[in-house]
Amino acid sequence: MSLRSQLALMAGRASAWGLKNARRNASQLPGRVALSLDPQLLRELAPKATKGSIVVCGTNGKTTTNNMLAAAVEASGQSVLCNRAGANMLAGVVAAMLPGTSADWAVMEADELSCKHILPQLKPTFLVLLNLFRDQLDRAGEIDHVQDTIVNALAASPTTTLVVCADDPLCAGIARRAAQAGTRVLSFGIGEDLGLEPDRVPEARFCQVCGAELDYDYRAYAQLGAFRCPNGDFERASLDYAATGVTVSREGVAFQVTGSSLPESVQVKAFFGGVYMVYNLMAAFVGSLLAGTTPEQFQRAIDAYDPKNGRLQHFRAGGRDVILNLAKNPTGFNQNISLLQADDRPKHAFFVINDNANDGHDISWIWDVDYERLNSEKSLVVYAGGSRAGDVAVRCKYAGLDARPAHSVSEVLGRMASVDPDVPLYVLTNYSALWPAKAELEKIGERA
Amino acid sequence: MSSKSLTIVHLYPELLNLYGDSGNILVLRRRLEWRGLEANVREVHVDDTPSFADADLVFIGGGSDREQAIVCEKLLRQRSELTSFVEDGGALLAVCGGYQLLGHSYTMGETKLEGLGLVDLYTDRGPTRLISNIAIESPVCEHPIVGYENHGGRTHLGADVKPLGRVLYGNGNDGQTGQEGCLYKNVVGTYIHGPLLPKNPGVADFLLARALERRYCNASLEPLDDSVELAANKGMYERLMSGNVQEN
Ligand SMILES: [Zn+2]
Repeated sequence: MSLRSQLALMAGRASAWGLKNARRNASQLPGRVALSLDPQLLRELAPKATKGSIVVCGTNGKTTTNNMLAAAVEASGQSVLCNRAGANMLAGVVAAMLPGTSADWAVMEADELSCKHILPQLKPTFLVLLNLFRDQLDRAGEIDHVQDTIVNALAASPTTTLVVCADDPLCAGIARRAAQAGTRVLSFGIGEDLGLEPDRVPEARFCQVCGAELDYDYRAYAQLGAFRCPNGDFERASLDYAATGVTVSREGVAFQVTGSSLPESVQVKAFFGGVYMVYNLMAAFVGSLLAGTTPEQFQRAIDAYDPKNGRLQHFRAGGRDVILNLAKNPTGFNQNISLLQADDRPKHAFFVINDNANDGHDISWIWDVDYERLNSEKSLVVYAGGSRAGDVAVRCKYAGLDARPAHSVSEVLGRMASVDPDVPLYVLTNYSALWPAKAELEKIGERA
Repeated sequence: MSSKSLTIVHLYPELLNLYGDSGNILVLRRRLEWRGLEANVREVHVDDTPSFADADLVFIGGGSDREQAIVCEKLLRQRSELTSFVEDGGALLAVCGGYQLLGHSYTMGETKLEGLGLVDLYTDRGPTRLISNIAIESPVCEHPIVGYENHGGRTHLGADVKPLGRVLYGNGNDGQTGQEGCLYKNVVGTYIHGPLLPKNPGVADFLLARALERRYCNASLEPLDDSVELAANKGMYERLMSGNVQEN
């Protein structure tokens, strides 16, 4: 390691120590300090993961998938370095690689556009690509640009195997281009029709080769499904790992995985999540297999998995169930509505939308969410919060819902005081609203 | 007694839907229905040949560069019909990419492309994208128009074309002249999305009134309770003008 890298490493660690002792969030700043001294530090740190590294990328679900994957690899008795708090730009990954000890694996989530900095330096063994959706347009730019970025990042890391969700035409488009450039590709997906109604505003319905509108044998959600171009130049790849026998209910999800490296099919189940979680679990399962975890160890890790990051987190507060989840783009929000509707209890819902930098200042996307589906809910009461509460209320009005403005989760729970305690509250927030809501619930509630 | 109805033509929703554009259509539809009027929304898809003969209100949304070019090529074949519609006082709303198509030309990358030439304007490119919340004052409605803009293009209006309004916050057509959008006959072009109509019900009613006037010689619209819309409009306007909104 060069003197410059060593100095950068020491400065990063010193600031991590200082932050920890000042009891502040140490997820990113040490990385920034170290990078200011040596922008190429990740290259030096990469060998600290002695067996290799896995990067998890995609618009929705990367934090959850990454954390499940890290937990599974740990359950196999191997040690892991991981950016668990979700700091997923270069600085966050560097910060997670700073600790003094080495580990068997680095398991890192990466922001889509940050792949171009992270992959060429880290040269991960595997890149797990979950999905691409329109997200925070003003920051991430158009999806074409995101795709180009990932293709170029893979080209700069030729030893990386791409583990891709083949059901997403946008990811499949990346896989196709990467494979042509020599990248090894493994695919996963759902190998059956779940009989679900397609989302109202599907994106990416067009062939990644010729631009024709894709035909679908079936769709799981958004643009994910078994697709085929009518001109025969692009289709969902045959799956190296397929989920079948999928059940999705309020109790969670369960499915069988078949795959080339599996002598027989394997049952996977989780007590949480909707259809999107089947994909997250598949990604984490395949990633953990590739890192030497057995299916039994994976299942044990999932059974013990306890999200503490505000994603689908359950609380008891104000004498009732409160379910908190992130919903930061139309597809994520629609999946949350599905989740809410799988719960057959009458319920209240609090939608919190902010327009801070990490949310994207442009919240036009709320008009692409199917709030209309909530009209079938009996006795649903909706509250609108966040810096864009007014926009949420207008959106709800045009969906036929009456949304009442509210400032905090506590305020909503207070207004629910006379409501039957069996009525749960769903709190769906975008990014910057998640942590305050979580902090509030941790203060006033007990973890369920 | 049969109620009045308006035919709204929504051009290529699957290609032009970048900024919650479906919200604009939903608002037009509901604001007719809430008044007991019928909304007949006709979506024109990629393989359809659009007809404007019976159209009362046409909507063109925003798309990526590639999608915008596909749409323009298709619409160029209907140029004379569209021109007649506009010259006859047909109501048309075009947002973002759709707005650029109204003019004589626009640029994609380094290439200059022919537009529909419905309004005397043209669009070239600036060094940066203009990305910001935006507020303007406009003669078409009583309240300020608020929304969001995100465009690389700089749009220049011909001498006889009025802007939709004057920029109070944000950039507008070119970030220089203080003009935003265009207003020509009953055509409204604008970079404002968010989408445009939900928080600006006055713009929606302006378009509906013009369409009703052309179809039924009666522009009167029953007033609606817009308290939710106007609260959102006012809240955003006040946040913007007090400098309390992060812009990057
Ligand atoms: Zn094709």
